[in-house]
Amino acid sequence: MPISAAEPLLVAVGLCAGYGKISVLRGIDLKLEAGEVVALLGPNGAGKTTLLRALSGLLPWSGSVRFAGRDLAGATPRDTVKAGLAHVIEGHRVFTQLAVLDNLVLAAYGLPRGERTARVEEVLELFPEIAAKQHERASSLSGGQQQILAVAQGLVRRPRLLMLDEPSAGLSPVLVDRVLVVVQRLRDAGTAVLLVEQLIEKALALADRVYALARGSIVLEARTSEPDLPLRLEHAYLATTGRAPPSG
Amino acid sequence: MEMPAAQLQPSRANVLGSACAWSAALPFLALLALGIAFPLFGGGYWGLIATRACVYWVLVSGLNLVVGFAGQIAIGWVALLTLGAYTTSVLTAGNVTPALPPYLALVIAAVIGGVFGLILGLPALRLRTFYFAITTVGFATIVTQVALAWQSVTGGGVGVAGPIFPPPFSSPWGFYYFCFGLAAICTWMTANVAASRFGRALTAIRDAEVAAEASGISKPALLAAVFVFSGAVAAVAGGLFASLQSYITPDAFTLDLSVLFFIAILIGGRGSILGPLLGTILLTVLPEFAAPLVAWSTFLYAALLLVIVLAIPGGIAEILDFKNRRPLESHRAIIPRPELLARLLGSPPDAGALTLEQVALSFGGVQAIDGLDLEIRPGQVHGLIGPNGSGKTTTLNVISGYYAPQRGKVSLNGAALPLFSRHRRAHMRIARTFQTPRIVGAASVLENVMIGGTIDGAATFVESLLSLPRHRRDEAMLHDTAMLALTAVGLERLAPVRADRLQHSELRFTEIARALMLRPAFLLLDEPAAGLSAEEIARLGALLVAIARAGTGVLVVEHHPDLIFDICHRVTVLNLGRTLAAGTPDEIRSHREVVNAYLGG
Amino acid sequence: MIESIVSTGVAIGCIYALIGITYTVMFSASRVFSFTAGTLGMLGGVLGALFIAHFGLPVAAGLVLVLAAGASFGIVTEIVAVRPVLRSLDQHLYVLSTLALALMVQQFTAIEWGTDARPFPRLFDIDRGGFDQQLWLPMLACIVVIVGLELLYRYTLMGHAFLAIAEDTYAARALGLPERRLRLTSYALAGAIGALAGFAGGEMLLAFFGNAPLLTFYGFIPVALGGMGSNRGAAVAGLLLGLFQQAANFLVGGIFASVAVFTVFILVLLVRPEGLAGASLQRRV
Repeated sequence: MPISAAEPLLVAVGLCAGYGKISVLRGIDLKLEAGEVVALLGPNGAGKTTLLRALSGLLPWSGSVRFAGRDLAGATPRDTVKAGLAHVIEGHRVFTQLAVLDNLVLAAYGLPRGERTARVEEVLELFPEIAAKQHERASSLSGGQQQILAVAQGLVRRPRLLMLDEPSAGLSPVLVDRVLVVVQRLRDAGTAVLLVEQLIEKALALADRVYALARGSIVLEARTSEPDLPLRLEHAYLATTGRAPPSG
Repeated sequence: MEMPAAQLQPSRANVLGSACAWSAALPFLALLALGIAFPLFGGGYWGLIATRACVYWVLVSGLNLVVGFAGQIAIGWVALLTLGAYTTSVLTAGNVTPALPPYLALVIAAVIGGVFGLILGLPALRLRTFYFAITTVGFATIVTQVALAWQSVTGGGVGVAGPIFPPPFSSPWGFYYFCFGLAAICTWMTANVAASRFGRALTAIRDAEVAAEASGISKPALLAAVFVFSGAVAAVAGGLFASLQSYITPDAFTLDLSVLFFIAILIGGRGSILGPLLGTILLTVLPEFAAPLVAWSTFLYAALLLVIVLAIPGGIAEILDFKNRRPLESHRAIIPRPELLARLLGSPPDAGALTLEQVALSFGGVQAIDGLDLEIRPGQVHGLIGPNGSGKTTTLNVISGYYAPQRGKVSLNGAALPLFSRHRRAHMRIARTFQTPRIVGAASVLENVMIGGTIDGAATFVESLLSLPRHRRDEAMLHDTAMLALTAVGLERLAPVRADRLQHSELRFTEIARALMLRPAFLLLDEPAAGLSAEEIARLGALLVAIARAGTGVLVVEHHPDLIFDICHRVTVLNLGRTLAAGTPDEIRSHREVVNAYLGG
Repeated sequence: MIESIVSTGVAIGCIYALIGITYTVMFSASRVFSFTAGTLGMLGGVLGALFIAHFGLPVAAGLVLVLAAGASFGIVTEIVAVRPVLRSLDQHLYVLSTLALALMVQQFTAIEWGTDARPFPRLFDIDRGGFDQQLWLPMLACIVVIVGLELLYRYTLMGHAFLAIAEDTYAARALGLPERRLRLTSYALAGAIGALAGFAGGEMLLAFFGNAPLLTFYGFIPVALGGMGSNRGAAVAGLLLGLFQQAANFLVGGIFASVAVFTVFILVLLVRPEGLAGASLQRRV
């Protein structure tokens, strides 16, 4: 079935999700075009991580989500990964008992052997610092290197959309920049990126568009080229009622 | 105008309460009548079965407190049956010791059973669930092997004759009434415990251990009490069993029997007396209906257990819980009544401030708190905010005694708080709530709140067992105080409802009601607004302000700026374990660094 | 005399170690202990006797069928007793569901096979005496399993996936690993290992339904003492247990040997609840 050129890569309508009885997301509408970098900002507890988990299938959700023309209802993380949606979870959690190379090969689990090796080699070329340590155990990598490994894992299957959950958390400024350079390269190569970040300035510098999430709802949506964005974000977070004032 | 209505509520609840009590007692009374009248319609063989059911129930009633209420997976309890059976038999036989009268032998067996019950049960305090289960299985196997090997005392494989009770209990029906009487007494005693602060505390240990600690419940003391009781009645059941069998050998005490007891409780449902009672009767009687069933009985019990675990974890008790099948109103609002707080909390305590001075704590290389100063004054609401990982919850955990600071001092009224003593905080009137509500889902909302007042009860375990006046006074006091607390937070209409039917926001307010039972000098709240609607947050804020006005010092750890800025007298902002700023809400709101830290940057 | 104690102790220790490994493999895949581990050992012996002595099948065919039966029971355990309770909020239900399943199988065996211990066939037609096959068969099985698992975990993709799931289930799931399928495979593998333990130890333990509770308890001790999730720890602890038990048997006799084992077990656990080589308990609040 031909996909019309106009349909965005990812469309979420009325997305609700939570943990048990606690509902966190209260009806999120979000869209993302192919090749865009979109930043998802917001204070703690707003639901950013919950949103990513719902999209990748780690959490049950209700509402409607379409990715690359497919309906994601009932999709497991395995399904979404196969569809081209990669989720790099928070906390640079890699498998410390395994070698760096094996960490990457696992990300390609399910692909035929030849393709696996080829994709892993591709990714190693993008990240020389971990290629140098590919046969060492992941436990020997520093925090920043583990984060890069985690991002590399997300890239092994050449996803159309890569979702990154706070890749800069716990990293020194130098390493943060290193990670964000990767994001820039991805955008140049045509991969869409949904980036959850605490460092607002850096995120805004990189992204094409931004969504601000607070108390489980989208309170602001704007292109990063618009003026007064930092101020509008502040209002959106700290306001006692819903939406931010319009630009201008 | 509001006050009289509130005063009316408790007494009306009491009337309803006693109506409830009568309907709860009805099944027991029916069984009592049935049991007393049994010889009139049951034949000799069925009399034996009924006697056996009574004997089993004597054991199961005690084990019920351990398994059903305390939630300990004690599978090998047949060991105590064996112990009791052999003790009474050997003591009455007179081969090893001079022959003792059977009643005395039974009492001695009970004492020995109590001691071994404690020995078998205490590892539960240190071991994880599965490990403890395995040790009880091992113990049961060993007791049987010892019985087999210790020929000089137990007669080894040949066995020994069971005790014979003197008339009127020497005839089959006489003995039936003896066992029935003991079974009825055990039912009454365990039902008393179930409806006491001890029974509720046991379910708290089972389902919400963290909340139990915060309410001052001492797990070791309570578990010791139930293990001793359970061991004692199991040994008594052993003596009765030996008499019923007339002759006992080690292979009468198989693991199958242990499994039967255990499964009877689970089929009956945890936290219930009636359920396991019906379960025991069911499992004793079932194989009698068809000869082939006898051989397959353990298989059927196991299959039944599997079905229950997968389909109806609440067991028979859940099936019979008609009260909780009635639908609840769909749009329920929580409307607190802050004016009742003065009555609930009493006059403000003469406590000074709760102070943290230069407190520092690190976990494996990460500095969670680094030189923190904090002062919570009575009568004020103090807000503690900061990004994730700033040390907010860690600070709360230090104050409530889960962690000891590595440097610095935590003091109340100038005196340092003892380290690592989270179950003593309740006694110091420091109460808390949790990030995720810790509630006993299977108990009613009222029972959950009554758990908060456990340490205010005066009756001992034995007094509760025998339903002595002090126990009944405790219950009335706890009931009324809990209803008042629920009315104050706005949940009184949900008091009899099973807690796991409530919405998240209602559970949060339930936790607050439970904390208020301590009449706390200090109330610590861990992200109380998470998951609440704007309307509910506003009501929560009003409630917290009223609690502070009644004299309590309130500490709120939160993300939501609205709640913090609206209700706090003072705010401390943490970032990376250090104080970033401290002052009034207005000062903080306009503080540039705070805004940046809060938004990230 | 010493020779006999050592060789019997090591042999029986290998059986305990294998059951311990069965527990551990299931635990690594699901973070749950299953009561069915001991029952698998029992089935290995009973089914081996059934296929080879009773039906007259050749030894190799009997072994294959026993392993297949073990794997099948492992799969059934996962589907019926583990998967449904992993989803529920009450974590302790797994103890009850696996207990129920184990009991059902034990009782079925008791009824159909009989409650007497029946002899297990001799697998190789060699004379008794000296270092007999009933001693070296369990040792061989133990070595094969331990080496096999090492190779699996170190060199195969599936083995790596098992290690990933054991270390961080959440991250493994997010990466798109087929968590459910891998868990099922782990349980099948564990089932085969448990059945092998019973088969190799058949001549020593006999084909007896009562082996189930015995192996459930004694097979768990290596896990408890060697630390959760460690195959090597379980193996070492299993051997030590076997030796200790045989020595105690010799010195104080059967009954008191059991009491001795039990007491040591309890004491060690009370002092170190995580086992001698285990991880510490996590933050709860």
